[in-house]
Formats: sequence, C-alpha cells, structure tokens
Amino acid sequence: MKKVTKGFAPLVALALVAAACGGDDAADESADAPAAAEEPADEPAAADEPADEPAAADEPADEPADEPAELLFDYGVSDDTIRIGLNADLSGPFASLVSQIVEGQEVYFEMVNEMGGVAGREVELVILDNAYDVPTHLANYEEFRLESEEGVVFFTQSTGSPHTAATVDALAEDNLLAIPLTWYSGWADPDLGANVVEINATYCVESMNGVQYLAETFDAETIAIVSLAGEYGQDGAQGAKLAAEALGLEIVYDGEGAIAGGDQTPIVTELVAAQPDIVWMTTTPTTFAEIFGGSVAQGLQAQWSGNSPTYSYLLLNTALADALSAYYTFSTYTALWGANDSEGMQLVISEMQKRRPDAIFSDNYIRGFLEAMTAHQILMAAADAGDITRAGILEAFQSAEIDFMGLAPNQTWAGDPNDYIVRETYLYDVDASIFTPDATVSDADGSTGSVLAAGPYAGSLAEGFTYEGPCFVAG
Amino acid sequence: MFRRPNLYTSYQAETQVLPTFTKKVIAIFAIVALFLMPFDVPIISGPTELPILRSIPLIGDGLPFFRFLGDAAWLRYMSDAMIVVVAALGLNILTGMAGQVSLGHAFFLGVGAYTGAFLGGHATDSVYGHGLPMWIWLPGAGVGAALVGIIVSPVAVRLRGLYLAIVTLGLVFLGIHMGNTDWGRKFAGDPSLGRSFPEMDLRVWKEETPLVSISEKGSWFGVEMSSNQKEFLFVAAVMLVFIFFAVNIKRTRTGRALQAIRDRDIAAEVMGVAEFKYKLVAFATSSFFAGVAGALYASHIGKMPAAQFNLILSIEFIAILLIGGAGTVAGTIMGSFFVILLPELVKDFSDWLSERAEGEGIVASVSEVILSGNQGDFGPISTATQTPNYPLNVFDLNLVLYGVLIIVFLIFEPLGLYGIWIKVRNYWKRWPFSY
Amino acid sequence: MSTSQSKRRISNGAAFMIAVFVPITIFLIVQLFSDPAVFLTTILKSLAMGSTYAIIALGFVLIFKATEVVNFSQGALAMIGALFISFLVADETIPIVPWWSEGNLVPIRNPIYDLGLPSWMAWGLSFIVALFFAALIGLFLERVAIRPMIGQPLFSVAVITLGLEISLRVLANDSAKLKLRNTNTPWSGKGFNIGDNFLYWSFFAAMIAAAISVVAVFLFYRSKLGIAMRAVARDQEAAMAQGIPIGRVFAIAWGAGAALAAVGGLFATEPPIKQTGAVDAETSLVAFRALPAVILGGLDSVQGAILGGLIVGSAEIFAGQYLSGYTSVLGAGYPLVIPYVVMIIGLIVKPYGLFGTEEIRRV
Repeated sequence: MKKVTKGFAPLVALALVAAACGGDDAADESADAPAAAEEPADEPAAADEPADEPAAADEPADEPADEPAELLFDYGVSDDTIRIGLNADLSGPFASLVSQIVEGQEVYFEMVNEMGGVAGREVELVILDNAYDVPTHLANYEEFRLESEEGVVFFTQSTGSPHTAATVDALAEDNLLAIPLTWYSGWADPDLGANVVEINATYCVESMNGVQYLAETFDAETIAIVSLAGEYGQDGAQGAKLAAEALGLEIVYDGEGAIAGGDQTPIVTELVAAQPDIVWMTTTPTTFAEIFGGSVAQGLQAQWSGNSPTYSYLLLNTALADALSAYYTFSTYTALWGANDSEGMQLVISEMQKRRPDAIFSDNYIRGFLEAMTAHQILMAAADAGDITRAGILEAFQSAEIDFMGLAPNQTWAGDPNDYIVRETYLYDVDASIFTPDATVSDADGSTGSVLAAGPYAGSLAEGFTYEGPCFVAG
Repeated sequence: MFRRPNLYTSYQAETQVLPTFTKKVIAIFAIVALFLMPFDVPIISGPTELPILRSIPLIGDGLPFFRFLGDAAWLRYMSDAMIVVVAALGLNILTGMAGQVSLGHAFFLGVGAYTGAFLGGHATDSVYGHGLPMWIWLPGAGVGAALVGIIVSPVAVRLRGLYLAIVTLGLVFLGIHMGNTDWGRKFAGDPSLGRSFPEMDLRVWKEETPLVSISEKGSWFGVEMSSNQKEFLFVAAVMLVFIFFAVNIKRTRTGRALQAIRDRDIAAEVMGVAEFKYKLVAFATSSFFAGVAGALYASHIGKMPAAQFNLILSIEFIAILLIGGAGTVAGTIMGSFFVILLPELVKDFSDWLSERAEGEGIVASVSEVILSGNQGDFGPISTATQTPNYPLNVFDLNLVLYGVLIIVFLIFEPLGLYGIWIKVRNYWKRWPFSY
Repeated sequence: MSTSQSKRRISNGAAFMIAVFVPITIFLIVQLFSDPAVFLTTILKSLAMGSTYAIIALGFVLIFKATEVVNFSQGALAMIGALFISFLVADETIPIVPWWSEGNLVPIRNPIYDLGLPSWMAWGLSFIVALFFAALIGLFLERVAIRPMIGQPLFSVAVITLGLEISLRVLANDSAKLKLRNTNTPWSGKGFNIGDNFLYWSFFAAMIAAAISVVAVFLFYRSKLGIAMRAVARDQEAAMAQGIPIGRVFAIAWGAGAALAAVGGLFATEPPIKQTGAVDAETSLVAFRALPAVILGGLDSVQGAILGGLIVGSAEIFAGQYLSGYTSVLGAGYPLVIPYVVMIIGLIVKPYGLFGTEEIRRV
C-alpha cells in the first residue's frame, strides 16, 4: 500500500484543470510555478515524509471558494481525504503494463492534489496487488469495500476480466464503480456491467474500424481472423467477422477462439495454407509474435493488424522488428505519446517529465491519465452536486461527460448504449527505425515506433453499428 | 482427571480420537474460538487496544497480525484456508498415509468444482447446469471427483515416486486444456471470464427462497450477519466434519493398510494387504475430499475460469503437507493455515515495515535501510509501484519471500509444524528436566 | 511382481507400440509424398525442438543421477541463464545493476568486448562466461538449499526446488519484465528458404548444441569426477566410504545442470520454440514442457533424455503441423498437452520410462 504525496509545492498554472477544480487564485500562484518545476527530483522524497505533516491538510482549506457548505459523504471519505482504490496486477503477468498505468494515475493525482484536491480533500490512492489471481482480487476487494473511512469510493483500476466479473455483484451491492482494464463490449450491457466504467471503444468496434481501414488501404479481398478463446478474443473476432461480411471480404480462415498458449504451429500452418490478404488477430503480444513470426517465415505476405493489446511496441526490440515495420498496422483506442498536440497530450508529457523524469518511455501512462481523469471528473461532478457518498458518485457517473482533452474521444454513459458507445479508434503505422528502447520520458526524441496513420478514425461500419448487446456473449 | 502421559490401559483408549484430557480441552477451545472468529470481539479485534500490548514499543500501535477477527478481509482468507484444509486432508490420505505423491490435486479440485457447477449451477446458452440443491451438488461433486480418481488409479498404481508425481502433474495441464475445448467449455464456461458457480444455500428442492440462506446477508439466531460471516460458519462446520472423517480413517483397517503400503508396499502385499485395492481406495477417498473442497472453493469465489486450478495450487497442497508434517491430521491443518495465510502475513509485514519507516528510532532507520521509495534510493526493496530495473518491488518481494520461507522451513524443520509441536510438547512434558 | 510378468508386459508393450506406430508411419509416408518440402521442414523443426528438449532433459538427468532429486527449478535456471547470455553477449554489459549509484543506472560494459579480439571469439568467450555465471548460480543454490537436506526424504528436497522455482522466477521476471531482452545470437533471425518454407539457422544450432552437450556429458562421465558421480548415484554411503567427497559431487552436478539449463534457455528463445529471439516470462516454462521428455526417457538415463526429447519434440511439432484441421475437436492449443499425452501412454507401457532403471523392491 502506498500513499500518494501530499501537495507541498505551489500550484501549477494549468488553466483547464484549475478551472475544473474551482480554483480562483491560480493567477497568484502561477508566479511560483517555475520554482516548482526546477526541483522535480524532490517530489518523490515527499512521499516518505511523515503522514502527520500539517501543511497538506491546511493548504486546501482556503482553496475552493464556491464549495457547497454541506457536502454529503459516507465511506472512504474523511474531512481531508478521498480514498480511491486500485486492485491492480503488480506482480502477475501484466505487471509491467499495469505498473505504468498506476504510475500515470499517481502522477495525475499528485497534480490534482497540488491544485487543491477534490472538494477540498486530498485524493489518496490505495493500491493493492491482485497478482492476477481471482481469490486475491476478491480478498483485496473486502478491504476496499469496508463501510468506514478505511474503505474507498471508486476503483480506478480493476485489472483482469475474470477478476472484475467476479466482483460485479458486489460492486452493485456496494454502489461502487470500477474501471476495468478491458474493452469487452459486454460491459455496456446493464446486466453485466452496470457499475463497470468502461472507457474508450470496445474490442468489437475496434475490429470493425481496423478491418475496414486495412481493407480500404490495402485493397484486400480475403481475410483471416484468428483469436484467443474467451471474452477478449471472441469479442474482437466477432467484430472482424461483421466487418468482413459487410465489406464483402472472403474469410479464408476462421480461427475464432483457436489460440491458446504454447506452440502455435497449427495456426501458422492453417494461415499459410489460406494465403489471406489481411490477417486480423486478437491475442496477447507473445502469442501474436509466435504466429506472426512463424507465418512470415513461411512466406506469408499479408497485412496484419489486431485488437489492442495484441501488439506491444516491445516487440520492436526483437528479431521481428523489420517484419513488423513492413506488415503491421497498430490499432488502439487512444492517442499515443506525442501523436497529437492536444492539451491533454501536453499535460501528460509535461507532468510525466516534471514528476517522474527517469520513468521509462511508454504509452501506458496515457491510459493511467485517462482512468484518473474519468475518476476525477466524476468525483468533481459528484462534489458539485453536493454528494460524494458512494451512491452520489454512482449518480454523477450516470450523467457524467468526460473530457479527455484530446487524448481520446470524449465519453459519457448517459442514456441508451447506442447513443454513447465510442466509435472512434486510432491506427498507427509501425516504424522500427525510430523506436528508442532505452529512452525515458524526458527524452525529446523518445518514440515507441508508432506513427499516426488515422485517428480518431470511425469507419462507416462502426458509425452505422447498432448496439444490441455484446457482440460475443460469454458464459 | 490428570493421568500419566503415554499410559494407556487398553487399545481402545490409545486409539481414541482425542485420547488425553489436554487434547479434549484444546479441541473444545479451538472449536469455540473458530466459531467466535467471524464476530467482532472487542478485546482482540483491530489494532490492539490491550493496554499491556500497547505499552510494548514495537507492537505499540498494532502488530500487523492482531486484526483477523470480525467481518474483514481476513475472514475471506480464513474461509479459503478452511476449504484448503478439507482438500489437504484428502491429499494427506493419499500422500501422507498411502505414500503416493500426487501433484495433481488441483485437477481433482477442478473436477469437483465443475461437477458441482453441472449439478447445482444454472444453465445458460453456453453452459450446463441443473440447479439442484446443495445437499445434492456438494456430495455429488465429491463423488464425481472420486469416480475420476478411480478411472485414473489403474495407471497411477503402477507408477512409483517421482514418476507418479510428474504424471499427476500432467493431469493438471490436461485438465486445464479440457476446460478450453469446445465441449469442456460447456462445463467450464468462457475461458477467461469463467462461469458462475452455485451459491451456498440450503434448499429442499429447487424452490425460490432457500430454507437457510448463506449467500445473502441476514440474521441468524437474532444476530445480523454478512454473507462472508455466514459462509465462514458453514465452511467451518464442513471442515469439522471432514476433520473427524480424516481422523477416523486412520483408526480403521483401511488406514492401517494404507500405512503398511506406504512403509513397504511389497511387504504389505506379502502380509495379505491387497495393494491395488487399497491404493484405489486411497485415490478415491482423496479425490472425494478434493472434489467437495473444489466445489466449496468455486462457490466461495463465485465466478472463475478453469485456469485457476493450476499447478501452483497443486504445489500449494504439497507444500502444506510438508510444512505441516506429512501423515498427521493436526499437521495438515496447521500447514493449511500457515501456507494460505503466509502471503498475507508477508504482505502485512511489508506494510508494517513501510509505515514504521516514516517514524523515528531504531525500527525506522532499519526499515529505511531495507526500503527505498524510488529507484536509485539506497535500499534493495522499493515501495514504489514501478521499478524499471532494481530495486525489487514490494509485491514481487512477497512472492520471493513465500518461496524462501518454504525452503527455510523445510531445511530447518523437516518434520514440519507438527515436529515443532512435538518438540515443544516434549520440552514441557519433561520440564523442569528438559535438556 | 515376478520377472516373468514383467517380461510379458514388455511384449505386450511391443504389440502396443506396433499398433500405435504402424498407422502413424503410413500417415507420415503419405504426407512425405504429398508435400516433401513441408515434410522436410517439419522434420528439421521437430529435430530442433527435440534437441532443445533434450538439452533441458540432460540437465534434469545430470542432477537426478547425482542427487536423486528432480530439480523443479530447472525452468527458472534456464531463464536466468538466458538472461545472463542476454546481458553479457547481446547487451555487452555485466549483469550487475549498480543500484547503489543513486539513480544513475548505467550498466558496466563487458570487458571481453574491449580486448580487441575478433568478434566471433569475443562472442564465444562471453557466451562461456555467461554459462559459467549460470553454473555459479547452480553451485550457490546447491550449497544453500540442497546440501543441508542430504539424508532427508527425497520429496522434501523436490519441494525445496519448487520453492526455489517460485522465488527465482520472480527475480528473473523482475529483471526482464520491462523489456523483452534479446539473446541476439549470430544466427538469430537468419536462415534460408526451401520452397516457401524458411529454415532458421537456429534449428541447426540447437541440434549442434544438443550433440555437443551429449558428447560433453558422456566424456564427463568417463572422467575421474564423472566416475565418482556415477558411484554416488549407485550408492551414496558406499561412495562416501570410498572417500568420494559427496558434497563436491553434488555441487558439480548442480553447476553442470544449471549450465545445461542456460543453453536450453537460450534455445527456448529462438525458433521453433519462440519467434522473437527474446527472453520473456514464458522462457521458464520450457522446463515444464521438457519434463515429459525426461520421464518418458527415464529419469536416470542420458540416452533416455535424448530419445525422450526427440520423441516428445517430434510428436508436438508433427501433431501441430498435421492435425491442425482438427483444432475444434482437439481444443485450442492442443500441441502443448501432446508431450504429456505421449508421456502417459509411454508410462502405461513402461512405468520407469524407456531407459530408466527399474527400482529393485525388497521385502
């Protein structure tokens, strides 16, 4: 469990966030901002300071002038803190990815706390490791759900589909919201995920966009679809099939749910025999590398793409780098580091550089920021309504509109799923030659080897898609 | 009332379930403590309030280990541990008593879980389920697993020692693979989301409102209880039944035959113990325990994929047996609690250490030497979530410590917790002449 | 069970083998004529796969013969070995991260590359140094965790190695996790075409490495130390009475086992097992994939390890290649369990593996 830094340094003038926080004295404080920027190295040290340091608790008190006098709150909130839970995989198979996402969230909330926190309270992140294990996840959940100050009001990270699915009933019972690290189209279905805050497009929509983009860019006539068994893989595969049907592509190999761990020879054999023009994959990076590498070695010349996270830029560090540059188009849900010049992007880059100058260069911090922004803006909405009880936050969520400041399409969950599901995704060309494996976030020429090709991109299929429930119904 | 130790006047007296007065007292005390555990008992709950403990400087505001009573996260670990006791007792019959080392126990838990789900779960488009009440699906899960155990045993009986261990290890991989096939998914559900398992509710037949609801919160005997507390009590009761069963097996003809086979199988055969028959019985009984435990485990978790019944779970059971002391029921129980609660203790210890690091004094400076907040600080263990290279992240450290503790334990106390208990007992038995 | 019974069992076994192998052979001959290029590739691939398994299996056997312990931490050792190769050879650095240097994580350069040697020689020397480091880890583990257990029940020792596996794998993952670490061998990613099929040089490298390992192990068993090791394997007490230092024999077996695991780990990052040529969290699983080979061949037999590795590896590759049309019946990812199925069938026929020594049971 790690507690996030209390705000010591003066405010940084970030107009948008400052406005959102209701800060009125930003102009005063901005004079001090350069001083703060000069000593970023001191920031981590603050985390080690004793908890009873008075400065943090006192500072925000004079900050929000327009705060309602009576603010309702129940569990997980005290007079000076708001506790947010992260039930995250920090030692399991997704540890490297998730730890960077968590890092992004920490940086974001450090910034928020410096600006005066939410409703005059400091946001405290409570991080527990679920080790990608369902029983551990559930036991952690018991610690988060406590109906006292020791509980939390929101989950900004709930790693793993089976894990999140196992807590869905309890979430509903406790009026808690959780942001999962999955893009399954079933979460929009109120039966499954009423309390699950899914951000960005779904696998299914992503597949439609990806297949349409590939088919139109490379004039394809045939397609092969390969996916993992289960909710992730088959949701993606269903989207690709819908797209292939609508575009008149011939499916020469249907490997929906054909992949499992280990040796991928059978799939490579089938793919090479089918000789498709494009291949759509929904799997994990290591498995993708096996199938992609094996097929390219056997002379398959096709254009490849797949749902995120099928591809990882770390693969550019391997023997497959050249083949990936030649044949792969990277599809994902958000803008990547430096892909655009939006306010959100500038915020991510400057905050990361200021607060974690030595952090390894990666796109995952953006996901952390998106999750943190969602929670922050929902909490702000709830605070404006004068109710940051768990029920109040749930209510605020149902009408919230999240502004991602250009990092990803803005999002809401109000009304019918068809009105709000996100239909835009992003597509990137892969270029191994600009990839910088050893860069840190402070390096100006750092790159994960992805060059924006299209995005935010919404193909005609995704635009016209009517959501009638999950593309793939899992058990 | 107080008799001379080790003086038994009849065979009957020696083979009693609880032969001595002290054992009876301990057993009754343990059972009472067990059933009080899910409730908030003010004196022992929470960061210690006891004035005596508070005055001790280190323990001061809360040793990490003093807060497992009441309705909290620890209750879940305790329920987990009690279910594991049932399964481990099964493995104890096979490995501890009959000497057949199995790394496939997780497989039989899985078979039990899915038999239970098949009988008691609710059918959807993609999975089977018959919605039968618990008094059918819980024993049914055991019987299903026992049948699979009987099918496997003709192969297993021919194999010896590590060969058997590795073949049973193969069963675990095969089991997970079967959960992945098209027909396997009809039982196991989606490979990543898993399926819903039946809930622990007592029903007469398939009626709507259960006779006794365990999975919903409500009041029992006038006490308002959460579902966690109710499940704890139910699981505790099941565990006691199986402990009694396991203790008794040892006293029967079967138990003696199994031990004869363990000690020297060929000699046992010469003496007229039917080796094949008794090994088969051992496999079936062990799988029955595993099956029931698997169904309970799955029901307690609620929803999980087949991959959860993996090799690590099997290893956990072997570790339990060896750490507890193979061949003894008491050792198995101690081992289960130790192994299941160990990661939590380790976690609490790291938390405790990092909290101490913020204070002053010796403990704080020691903690500061061990811990570092961020990369580059002095100290091998980082409390930061992200560690680009070294130092080691706390969450990983917990896993490493878990492995190391197993090793250290086996090196320094090969007889396990039971061995420690015997040593302590003998020390006091001979006191004040114990040397 | 009497000898006559066991003889009859073998002949039963032979009948069983015929029943299994004749149809398989016919099927393969048909495949050979229908597409010779694919068939040839598959054969080479399965030989490479089998060689990798055989190398790992040899590590198991070496340790088992000396200490009678199945070392379940062989997978973690393979990964650690591959990491050493990645650090010393591919990154040309020394695998000590100077965490005391206050955030300045500049690794120390491997001095071998600064000696002005020809590049192949520097590569070879670094490779040997990496194996040496891996062996040191093996020695260390044996001294710390295994030596104190001499005389304890064998299964306790086996569980100790499981504990080692848990701890070491986490440590290894931790040092590899944020990057896929290349092993970057001279043959990495290179190869030539047969028809449409690409043959990697790593296939042949694996076969050559397996051949060298086997020869080395046989030569080793003929040396004085090797003879001592065989004596220890036969009877520990008698060997000790003859003045053989059992502790040293154990240590050397573990050191050699760890070095073999490192070689296996290297090939576990290359085709046909992995396409990426990089160490990742799955590298340590290779030991569990090779375990059926050890058991099938017989835990205490060098020939068994080789033959077992080849059988299991070929079964996996051929099943993957020629049964791919039946994926819906066999289940996704079926090649992964093929080794275990082959092992179980093999053990039904021969409970001690193909070349394993039958335990003599006395009353």
